[in-house]
Amino acid sequence: MTFPEFFAENWTDVLDHTVAHAVLVLQSLGLAVLIGVPVSVLTYRTGAPRAAVLGVAGLLLTIPSYALFGLLITPLGLGSAPSVVALTLYALLPVVRNTIVGLRELDPAVIESAHAMGMGRMRVLVTIELPLAWPVLLTGLRVATQLLLGIAAIAAAVNGPGLGNLILDGLATAGTPFAVYLTIEGVAGIVLLAVLFDALYAIVNRFTTPGRLGA
Amino acid sequence: MPDVTRGTPEGGAADRTMIRLDALTKRYPGQSEAAVDALTLDIPAGHIVTFVGPSGCGKTTTMKLINRLIEPTSGRVHLDGRDVTEVPAPQLRRRIGYTIQQGGLFPHRTVADNIATVPRLLGWDRRRVGERVDELLHLVGLDPKTYRRRYPKQLSGGQQQRVGVARALGGDPQVMLMDEPFGAIDPLNREALQNEFLRIQAAVRKTIVFVTHDMDEAIKMGDRIAIFGDNGRVLQYDTPERILADPAEGFVTEFIGSGASVRRLSLTRLESVVLPDWPTVEETSDGETLRAAARGSDRDYLLVLGDGRRPVGWLPVTGEDRRPGERLPLLSPLGPRDSLFDALDHMLTVNASAAAVVDGDGRYRGVVEMDTLRELINTRAAGAPSSSDHLQEA
Amino acid sequence: MPTRLLLRYALTPLCLGLVLLVLALYVSSQPRDLIEERSLNSEYLISRTVKHLELTGVVTAFILAVAIPLGVLLTRRWARHVSGPVLALASIGQAIPSLGLIVLLTVAFVSLGVNQIAVIAFVLYGILPVLRNTIAGLRQVDRSVVESALGMGMTPRAVLWRIELPLAVPVMLAGVRTALVITVGTVALGTFIGAGGLGDVISNGISSSRNLVLVTGSVLVAVLALLIDWLAGIAEDFLRPRGL
Repeated sequence: MTFPEFFAENWTDVLDHTVAHAVLVLQSLGLAVLIGVPVSVLTYRTGAPRAAVLGVAGLLLTIPSYALFGLLITPLGLGSAPSVVALTLYALLPVVRNTIVGLRELDPAVIESAHAMGMGRMRVLVTIELPLAWPVLLTGLRVATQLLLGIAAIAAAVNGPGLGNLILDGLATAGTPFAVYLTIEGVAGIVLLAVLFDALYAIVNRFTTPGRLGA
Repeated sequence: MPDVTRGTPEGGAADRTMIRLDALTKRYPGQSEAAVDALTLDIPAGHIVTFVGPSGCGKTTTMKLINRLIEPTSGRVHLDGRDVTEVPAPQLRRRIGYTIQQGGLFPHRTVADNIATVPRLLGWDRRRVGERVDELLHLVGLDPKTYRRRYPKQLSGGQQQRVGVARALGGDPQVMLMDEPFGAIDPLNREALQNEFLRIQAAVRKTIVFVTHDMDEAIKMGDRIAIFGDNGRVLQYDTPERILADPAEGFVTEFIGSGASVRRLSLTRLESVVLPDWPTVEETSDGETLRAAARGSDRDYLLVLGDGRRPVGWLPVTGEDRRPGERLPLLSPLGPRDSLFDALDHMLTVNASAAAVVDGDGRYRGVVEMDTLRELINTRAAGAPSSSDHLQEA
Repeated sequence: MPTRLLLRYALTPLCLGLVLLVLALYVSSQPRDLIEERSLNSEYLISRTVKHLELTGVVTAFILAVAIPLGVLLTRRWARHVSGPVLALASIGQAIPSLGLIVLLTVAFVSLGVNQIAVIAFVLYGILPVLRNTIAGLRQVDRSVVESALGMGMTPRAVLWRIELPLAVPVMLAGVRTALVITVGTVALGTFIGAGGLGDVISNGISSSRNLVLVTGSVLVAVLALLIDWLAGIAEDFLRPRGL
C-alpha cells in the first residue's frame, strides 16, 4: 500500500486529529491570554511583582513538557484537562512578557496627554494603551502558538487529543509499513498547522495594526 | 616648495618619498564608476598628508589600498621603495599603524593588551612589550598605573581615541594610516586631541595618511592636503597654504568654501609672529604713573601686567584729557601655540579689538590687533602668495 | 553586594534541594506496593538519572561540535548567500515536534539502535538555538573592531579566534543554555522509543496508574532541568569575557 492509498483511507482521521490539535492549542492560548494579559496589566508598572511574574512564567517554560504533563495528571487525571492546563502554562511566558514589554514601550507622553484630556485610568488602558501594545502582544501570541503546536503532540501521551495520537500510533505499529505513514501524517499535520497559523498571524497583524505601527 | 617642511626639522630626509601610489585603481564589480581611478601620489616621509573630500569620494578606499585591507584592481603601492605585495598582507600591516573613527579597540582586552597587539604579533619578549605599553601610555598622556588594566568601556571617548593612537604606534611603525581618528569626538575635545596629536607627531615624526571630511581639520593637521573629488580622483595635492591661496578651479574652491582667507589664519602660530609694541603698566603703579603712560600713547587701552609680567587686565583711556578709567579684567591671554585664527576667534568671542599674547611661561609677549588680522585677510584674499606681510615671521 | 550575589546563586539549588527533600519524605512516608517499589528504589532512580545526564551530555557535545563550526562557516564572507536559506530551513525544521522527530526516525530507520536514534533526533532538535546564536553573536561583533584587528596585521584565523569568537561568547552561551534546557526536556521523551532516561519513571507511572511514581519521575525531570539551567546561568556569568 502506497502512502497516497493509505492517506485516501484514513484522511478523515487525520482531519479529526488536526482539528482537535488546533482546538487544543487555541483553547490554551485563549486561557493564557485571559490570565496573562490582566496579570501583565496589574504588574507592569511595579518592579518586584513584574519580576516575580516573569520569573514564574520563565520557570514554567523551563520545566520539560513530559514532566509538566505528568505532574498535572495527579490532580486532573488523564485526557484533555492536563493537556489544556499544561499548554496554557507554557503559553504564559510569551504572552506575559510581550504584553509587559508592549505596555512599557509606550511613549509616556501619549499616556500623559490622554490623562491630561480627562480620560480615566481604565479608559486610557482600554482605548490607548492596549491597542498601542497590540502589535507586540500579537508577536507574543505568534511565538506561543508555534511553541504550543509542537508541545501539544505530547498530549497524546496522557491520552489527550491531537496529532500526537497519529505519531504514537505510528510508534505502536513500528515495523509495519503503516508506521512511517502514520508518523508522517502526524508530523506533517503539525508543520502544516504551523505554516497556516503563521500566515494567519501575518494577515491579522496587517489588518489590526493601527497605521504606521505595522511591522 | 619652501612650505613643505613646515613642522619638520631643517634638511633631513624631508623629501624622501615614503608611500608612492602608482596609477592605483579600484573598481567594484557591478559599479560603472571606479571607486579609485588611476591615482598617482607621492607621500613624503615624516609628514602628515591629509586626504579630504566629501563622503564616497574614495579617500578611505585609497587609504585601505595602502595596507591592503582592499586589494587594487590595477596599479601599485610602494612603501619605502618596495612593492607592498612583496610580503603577505598581515606582515605588511604590522609595519603600518592603523586607527579608525570608531576606535576599534578590542572591548574584551585591557588597555595594555590592546596596545600590546602589534608588539606581540611581532614577537617581542614580554618585558619589551610591557615597557613599550608604558612608554606609549605616557606619550598619549595617560598614566600607565591608572589605565593599563582598564577595559575600553571604562574610558571616555577621548581616552579611547588616545589608546587607539597609542595602539597604532605600538610596533613603532614608520607609517600610520588614520581614518577620521577624531571624528566621533565632540568639537572641544577634538581640538585638544588634534593639538596633542601634533605634539606627539613632532616627537615621533611618522609618515601619516590622515583621512578626514573636515576641511578645517585637513588644514590643521596636514603638511600636505590631497583634495579628493568623485571616483577617487585627486583634484589638488599641495601644502595647505598654497591650496588656500590658489585653489584649483571649480570643485576645490567650492569645497574649501568662502572662508578660505580666514582659514589661512590658522596656519600661522603666534609663537612665529613678531608682535607690535603696546603700552603697558605695572599692576602696582600709582595714579601719576598711569596718567603719564596714558598720555604717552595713542591707544585706547593700556595693558596691565601683574606678578611675573603676567597680563592681568586692560585699563581704558577715556576723554579728551586721556584719563585712565576702571580696570577691566583679562581672563585668558593667548599662548604661543595658538594660531592667528584662534586670536580672531578670541577677539570675536569677547568682543575686543585686541588680545594679549603670552609666552610659554605665561609672561607678556605682545598684543595682536583686530585691524592687523583684517588687513591680513584682505591682502591674502587678493591672492598675495607670501605668507605674511604685516606680521613678520620670527 | 556579595550577599546578594550569594543569594542569587544559592537560592535556586536551595529551593530545588528543598523540593527533593519534601519529595523523598513524602515517598518514604507512603505505603508502596511491588509495582511502585520497582520504580521507586534508589538504584533504579540513580541509573535513570545517570542515563539521562549521559544522553544530555552526548547530545549537547554533538550540538556544539556541529552548530558552532557551522555557524562560523555561515558567517564567513563567501557564505553570506547560503546562511539565509540554511537558517530558514532550520527554522521550518523547528516546527517539527520533538516527539514526531524521534518517532519518525525510529520507524523509518529500524536498523539503527535506539540510542543512536535518540542522539540524532535530539541533536537535530537542539541545534537551531546554538546555530542561530553563533551566527547572531558573530554578526553583532563591531565591524570596526574586526577591521582594526586586520589592519594591525592579525591573520584572519587569529581575528576569528582571538577577537570574533571571544566577543560572540555571551550571545553564543545564551544559545547553548537554551539548547541545554531543550535537550534535558527532549531526552525525557527518549522513553517512548526505549532510550531510557528519567522519562522512563514518568512512563512507568502513567502505564501502571501509580501517581506516586508519576509524581516522582516528573519532579525529578523538572528539578534536573532547572538545575542544569541554573548551572548554565552561572557558566554564562563566568565565561563571559571581562570588559564586555
